Amino acid sequence: QDPTAAHYMFQDDPFLMPRNAASARLYSLSKESGKNAAKYIIKQFPQYFDKTFAEPNVPCLMPEILTPQIEGLSEEALKERIHLRRVKDSVDMFDQLIQAGTPVSLETTNSLLDLLCFYGDGEFTPEKEEEDLEEPGVNASEQKAPKKQSRRGLQSFDSRWRENNNAERIFKIMPERNAHSYCTMIRGMVKHGASAKAYDMYIDLLNERHKADVHTFNALITAVPYLKERFLERWELAKVFLNHMAQQGVQPNLLTFNALLKTLRRCGGIGKSMSLSVIKEMEALDIEPSLATYGHLLFIFYKDVDCYPSGIISEVLDDVEKRSFAPQDPDDANFFATAMQVCCDLKDIKLAYRLNKAMEKGDNWKFLDMDRSNAYWSKFFSLLCMMEQIDVVLKWYKEMSTSAFYPTPKNILDLLQALDAANHLEVIPSVWEGMKQLGYNRRHDLLEELLSLMSREQHPHEIQLAFAKCAEDIKAALDQTGREQALLEWTSLELGSLAVLFSRAGRTQDAWNMIERLQQISRIPTDHVMNEFFNCAKQTNCPDEAIKLVKLAASLDLPLSQKLKSRTEKEFELSEKQK
Amino acid sequence: TSSVLSTENDKSTSSKDSTTDVASKSQEGTAETPKQKLLDIIGNMTVEVSYRKKLKQLKTREITNTLEGPDSEHTVLQRTTEDVRGGKPLNPELVQAVSAVASSLPLNKKQTESELLAQLRRHEETTDKQKKGGLTNIRNVISEMAVKRQSPAQRGVKISSRISLRVDEDDQRIKPERLSPQSFDYRSLKVGKRLNIFTKASKETENALKTVSSPTIWDLEFAKEIAAVTAQPPRNGFEEMIQWTKEGILWEFPIDNEAGMEDDAEFHEHIFLEKHLKDFPKQGPIRHFMELVICGLSKNPYLSVKQKIEHIEWFQNYFEEKKELLQEI
Repeated sequence: QDPTAAHYMFQDDPFLMPRNAASARLYSLSKESGKNAAKYIIKQFPQYFDKTFAEPNVPCLMPEILTPQIEGLSEEALKERIHLRRVKDSVDMFDQLIQAGTPVSLETTNSLLDLLCFYGDGEFTPEKEEEDLEEPGVNASEQKAPKKQSRRGLQSFDSRWRENNNAERIFKIMPERNAHSYCTMIRGMVKHGASAKAYDMYIDLLNERHKADVHTFNALITAVPYLKERFLERWELAKVFLNHMAQQGVQPNLLTFNALLKTLRRCGGIGKSMSLSVIKEMEALDIEPSLATYGHLLFIFYKDVDCYPSGIISEVLDDVEKRSFAPQDPDDANFFATAMQVCCDLKDIKLAYRLNKAMEKGDNWKFLDMDRSNAYWSKFFSLLCMMEQIDVVLKWYKEMSTSAFYPTPKNILDLLQALDAANHLEVIPSVWEGMKQLGYNRRHDLLEELLSLMSREQHPHEIQLAFAKCAEDIKAALDQTGREQALLEWTSLELGSLAVLFSRAGRTQDAWNMIERLQQISRIPTDHVMNEFFNCAKQTNCPDEAIKLVKLAASLDLPLSQKLKSRTEKEFELSEKQK
Repeated sequence: TSSVLSTENDKSTSSKDSTTDVASKSQEGTAETPKQKLLDIIGNMTVEVSYRKKLKQLKTREITNTLEGPDSEHTVLQRTTEDVRGGKPLNPELVQAVSAVASSLPLNKKQTESELLAQLRRHEETTDKQKKGGLTNIRNVISEMAVKRQSPAQRGVKISSRISLRVDEDDQRIKPERLSPQSFDYRSLKVGKRLNIFTKASKETENALKTVSSPTIWDLEFAKEIAAVTAQPPRNGFEEMIQWTKEGILWEFPIDNEAGMEDDAEFHEHIFLEKHLKDFPKQGPIRHFMELVICGLSKNPYLSVKQKIEHIEWFQNYFEEKKELLQEI
């Protein structure tokens, strides 16, 4: 891993490399949207792309034929439209067929129901299809960029199940229905948020003496938290479904148990006691748990802040370390972030190292896309700052910063605290350089922490000079009013610290500028600041400055003014005028 | 469901045999320390013990004494085992009726009896759960326990294969759900009981389940979603080239000259076309002409074998027609 390089997908030019998490996201999104734009052009204007020069032909670069070929009113035409996923056309054709009196076979009607239930009666647009063809590491199209919720567009719950929509209507007018019809309706309703209706539909299915399939049961189990409020009722309802499964001879699969654990996440204390039984059940049925299983388990056991130590996480890590996982459940991707969060809460660095090793094993790293990877490493770094020696922390920081992850503001704060704890404050100017790169140079919380750490104590002379240089840099950065940046408000803490720093380095004029600025924003300099300035004036032998200070103190009627006055008289040789 | 019931049946037969001893022993001897005897015997059985079960067995022994007849012992045994599996003691008349029905049917008597009794038991359970008050003390306790506790209500549905003489745990479970942290200091994935709702599918049922219809839109989209979980952008040039090769953008190395060409025929079928000249005369200008045709065709890389044969046949037809003309002349 080259510590100076960004991810491969970015241009390998120092000017074009992303500096922080936000710009990394932006660049990768723009890359994807470029690809999308190209695909869009090919799709819209296929007549310009019909020459196949390549031998052998490359089908993925050629325009696809997405318009229905079969015209006219027939079941074949309907099937084709369903296959091409044209929701509106299929519904229209179906209605026309019914009105014309031609019977549509049960199978075709079922596949139409599948289509409608899957898309929740919203229109399927080609742009939507593009999204799930892209890598999930980036949200494909730009219009989805701000939305974090609906990441996998088709799995989003944005589309709601409308009352009496096409699916329900067609379901009602079907002359005969089989188990598949009910099942697909249930799945659609659960997917689009109509859980109560799904439950009613399930009762209908039972009344018709049909058997549901495993996917339907999985959907019903996921809908349980929306059907009941109290924890015990939720668990009881989930068990009802499980028992029905057993009665109807439907074998549960991994997704059943994952759905069960997901429901248990919202069952409070019952979740803790029951989840272990669920795991044992999986074992008894020879179903290997996936990462999602472990993720849910960790969440259930460690979501309370006051978690007493239990051995669950080490056992989970024991299992995870041994295997290289293949994706089996969309929730697998959340495992590593959850696990690292648990390690942070438990403040256990050894577990974190183990988790890291497990992540690097085999294909496990693939479960972390860009955003999750950033969150994961950021938490790991926070933990490091808390628990490890400073040289280890700095080593990780140098290696990983901007190549593996982009430190968040919290990470910078943690780093500063670690430096403080280890008494390594001379590294702070380089941290400031890092901050500038990351684009945090105008964040008040970081600046205040930085400056107050620097100005808290006296330091050996070279360090003081270095600090002063850094302070000047900070001042310059803050003063700068670029095209987009508004004039930043200074806080009194910042100004005070800057004044102190300048004073200590003997830069009287700069320090006085700072104090003046304080006046401008109608703040009073603290005693600390004024004393420092006074000392500086004494050192550089500028009685004028000292008098200026006394005048200021007097005008503000500060208690310190008297002391300052006496000190001035004592320590300086003043001319008569000055007195 | 049949497999579930049959396994239940097998276990219940084994337990039936042992409870025969129990019933007979207690009937012979006194009822002193039946709990102790039960514990000993049941400890040898592969049946889980629960407080409720003991209560029920005590109760059934009371009911046993009231019954007479040759069927009584059999029904008692059945009822005991069914109660062992965690229902309520059923109406003895019902049970007798069930056994009568079972004996009238030509199928396996025990199996039908147990099935019918199980169904009746379920009805009883649901009605009792909804009934409020008017029950005996024991029933109150039992129904209360069914509501409060989580697993013992279901544990009786299936007799597990594991021996667990956790008598005390049941008493503990009557405490409220919100267990204090101290009582569950150490929890592990390795220790613990399972839900006991499902059984492992046998091989035949697995194979039967494998025959599925063509994948629906749900399956296709789910497969896409799963693939998208680990689809990360390539980390280096090699991974990018791998991805392109998979998509077909990049050629596969080592280069295959015939990639993309679908030609079923071997090279000799293209070149050695003489065998198609069987029907032509062996001498004469026609033969000469056709040999030239064949020579040209064999050098043609653009036509498929079929097309070449068609060419030759066209000539054949043509010359057939012309032959009549020529003959006339």
